[in-house]
Amino acid sequence: MSGARLWNLIAELTYRCPLRCPYCSNPKEWASIRDGLDADAWARVFREAAALGAVHVGLTGGEPSARRDLDAIVRSAAEAGLYTHLVTAGVPLTPDGLATLRDAGLRSVQLSIQDATAAASDRIAGTESFERKLSIARAARELGLALTLNVVLHRENLANVGALIEVARTLDADRLELANAQYDGWALANRDALLPSREQLEAASAVVAEERFRALRPELVWVLPDYFSGRPKPCMGGWGRRLVVVAPDGLVLPCHAARDLPGLAFWNARERSLAECWNDAPGMNAYRDEAWMREPCRSCVKRSEDFGGCRCQAFRLTGDATNTDPACALAPQRASLLDARARAAPTAWIARGVGAQEGN
Amino acid sequence: MTDAPLAPADFEARLRAIGTERYHDKHPFNLRMHAGTLSREEIQTWVRNRYYYQTRIPVKDSAILAKSGDAAFRREWVQRLHDHDGRAPGEGGLEMWLRLAETVGLERADVESLAGVLPGVRRACDAYVALVESSDLLGSVAASLTELFAGDIMTTRIAAFEKHYAWVDPEGLAYFRSRTKQAPRDASFGLAFVLEHARTRPDQDRCLAALERKCEILWSLLDAVEAAHRRPVLSPHVVLRDDAERPGQQIAVLPERGVRVNESGQEILALCDGGRSSEAIARVLHDRHPEVPHLLIDVHEFLEQMTRLGVLVLR
Repeated sequence: MSGARLWNLIAELTYRCPLRCPYCSNPKEWASIRDGLDADAWARVFREAAALGAVHVGLTGGEPSARRDLDAIVRSAAEAGLYTHLVTAGVPLTPDGLATLRDAGLRSVQLSIQDATAAASDRIAGTESFERKLSIARAARELGLALTLNVVLHRENLANVGALIEVARTLDADRLELANAQYDGWALANRDALLPSREQLEAASAVVAEERFRALRPELVWVLPDYFSGRPKPCMGGWGRRLVVVAPDGLVLPCHAARDLPGLAFWNARERSLAECWNDAPGMNAYRDEAWMREPCRSCVKRSEDFGGCRCQAFRLTGDATNTDPACALAPQRASLLDARARAAPTAWIARGVGAQEGN
Repeated sequence: MTDAPLAPADFEARLRAIGTERYHDKHPFNLRMHAGTLSREEIQTWVRNRYYYQTRIPVKDSAILAKSGDAAFRREWVQRLHDHDGRAPGEGGLEMWLRLAETVGLERADVESLAGVLPGVRRACDAYVALVESSDLLGSVAASLTELFAGDIMTTRIAAFEKHYAWVDPEGLAYFRSRTKQAPRDASFGLAFVLEHARTRPDQDRCLAALERKCEILWSLLDAVEAAHRRPVLSPHVVLRDDAERPGQQIAVLPERGVRVNESGQEILALCDGGRSSEAIARVLHDRHPEVPHLLIDVHEFLEQMTRLGVLVLR
């Protein structure tokens, strides 16, 4: 447990969402995972998180505004002393609804857009939503809420980074997260279609550097994705170290994607206290600290900085979560990632919730 | 295959174009200085901080001297050391700058101590010396070519001081006057040297890059001086709360991060009311805790860091 200190609760309030983005980070079987915590149960989770030291809650999903009791949830989070941050797609939220949430104690909004124009953004989102998103951004500004825009980047929109920065400036966002897609869940299924080329990334990188020089606002968050950097990402700041995810059904996880790693037992906040689930669940302790590491991680000077990368990615690409993340240039199973890079090409994607998932 | 070298006239035009685009006479702070809108405190901050740059000039010129095996070059270049250091105590450009400092109301010993030099200014000036030290003779002479543009700025500056800052005794402007003569002389030697010795396109490109870098350094020096007179205030999006794990410590919580603030940091943040400049805040704390070494620098560094993290915003 050394080095573990809970800072941030990620509260996945529901997996329901009107958008159908092909890189959604929710589990592929999202539709079978029900909303298991009512507003009172969330209030207890918030108090328990604050008691464990958390100062911040990200209210996310799915789409959190799909819950009718979101204002009560926000109020209880604020009352627990947590800094309340709403991660939303902007629908079905309305400007009036956002005002209610502000009055309930909301401080900050992270709003997703999918591209820089209505046509392109709506196409990726799979639903008409761009103009409504912009109305939420304007409302956030008027209400005095902190405003972050988030765009997941991939082959189809990476060329529009300059236009996206312009959108963020026009909306007077405090911060723009240019978030290269993480290839897990839906994004992994659609990897061939979404994974960009190195040339695309370098061009986007140059645009970001130029725009950072040009103006201080908005703060531009841009990190070369792990598929291309040769360095694994310090996933979640380390397994069970700083952040905890509570899924819609109450399952307490070290990250949003760890649910289906084999052989790991996680506990549920409906059945036990958050402290028990965080401190003692076998799954939560499986990859805490460094004892689980193999070579080359075990003796690597970077192990306390990147924690060997992402356990979920190691499992998806190599079949064993204790392997070094293949995003690392030193990983023995590096080929699995390089092969994926070579395979990427313009092709159709599967939208979340369509086809096999929803048809069944 | 490398490109063919530029003709000398074209190369010189490229060097001069860098000045037209990037020399710090176009920096907002200098524009305000020359338009007469700087406050007395801003003039003082500039003079105090620019003194650190003045002290670095003979250091970098000594480094350039040491790169040359040519007695004729050294005879010429050593003149710059004499210009800045003088032939005897009480003479030379550094001494003239200290007199300017006294004229604008600063304590000579305080300026000489370098205690009030802003971290950003120190970084910029040290970067210049490092640039010269890591360049060969040609590159380091090229970096000095901002002198091509210095004569004009000195003339503008003298006129601006006489017109707008009548409270500054004209005696104090002796340094600027001396540079109107020295800078063109030095620049013509430096330019002739660079035109003669940059014979290949890669060498010419290196010279252009060194001069650009030098312009960036001068620009960032003024950025730091300018920022010292902005007025920091806590961001409206920040919540300051106690850190349950560490008694006496606070956490500044933002949408995307939490920042631990110790008791010294809390004392600094308490002064960030949107009315005081960073420089004024640093002075208040310096007067409050005269026994603490490097306090001015530490306060400025803290304010810079908190601004970068979004805890503070500048007015």
